[in-house]
Amino acid sequence: MSGVPLQDFLVLAGLLFTIGLWTALRRTNPIQILMGIELMLNGVNLNLVAFARYMPAADQMRGMVFALFVLTVAAAEAAVGLAIIIMVVRRRGVVDVNKVNLLRG
Amino acid sequence: MDWPQVIFVALAVGIVFGAYRVATAQVITHAALYLAFVLSLVAGMFYMLQADFVAAVQLLVYAGGIMTVIIFAIMLSELSELKGEVPQNILQRLASPYFGLLPLLVGMLVFAVIMLAVLRVPWPVAPQAAPGDTVTLIGNGLFKTYALPFEVASVLLLGALVGAIVLTRREAGER
Repeated sequence: MSGVPLQDFLVLAGLLFTIGLWTALRRTNPIQILMGIELMLNGVNLNLVAFARYMPAADQMRGMVFALFVLTVAAAEAAVGLAIIIMVVRRRGVVDVNKVNLLRG
Repeated sequence: MDWPQVIFVALAVGIVFGAYRVATAQVITHAALYLAFVLSLVAGMFYMLQADFVAAVQLLVYAGGIMTVIIFAIMLSELSELKGEVPQNILQRLASPYFGLLPLLVGMLVFAVIMLAVLRVPWPVAPQAAPGDTVTLIGNGLFKTYALPFEVASVLLLGALVGAIVLTRREAGER
């Protein structure tokens, strides 16, 4: 763990975030949009842990704890999001987000 | 190149390739498998950054839990149409916000802004000394410094759990 500069991690995390954004924008299937959001959250987590590693040892805990909280919120978001998707599919029978466009159920 | 650089490049190539396949795979289960691949490699990256506890949680929660939930959702929603409608006309397709160039342009713009910010700052090149026992460190952080956010996160998880059960429950009258 000597040779990799922080910049490389930041570039990789930015790339992962961007690919996640691209996935979330180009898909019309809500489950795949959720996958794109998970990719984006992973890019952010990689960023946080990499930043923490390049701080003094006493401060390295902060980045890791922050990453763990992001993980927790991602798990909650995935559970509720997928439950909503399943309910929408059961009620309306479509999965395309372009066709689910009514505010009333 | 020494070993950490070789491992970093190998992991990075795998992550970018897997993420690209998540974005472009035609079959949704393939996209889910590539997502699991990417999540495991990110766990490897965490391990490389000496955050072994975060790597273990990443494997358990993401590659274990969230992937299972996603695959369950794919099976339960009985997706008949996997791709959505692709406009046939090439001009319509390029102008379409969903399949055309617009998502790619927005993505490249965001990436350019991120790179502009990243490349302008002289970041530290060498990591600091590793703290050693990360589990003790994180435990102390979670239960002392960040005790209140920890409790709020547990309430959030409870709310999400109850919400997911209520949303997906079948009513008595439903088929």
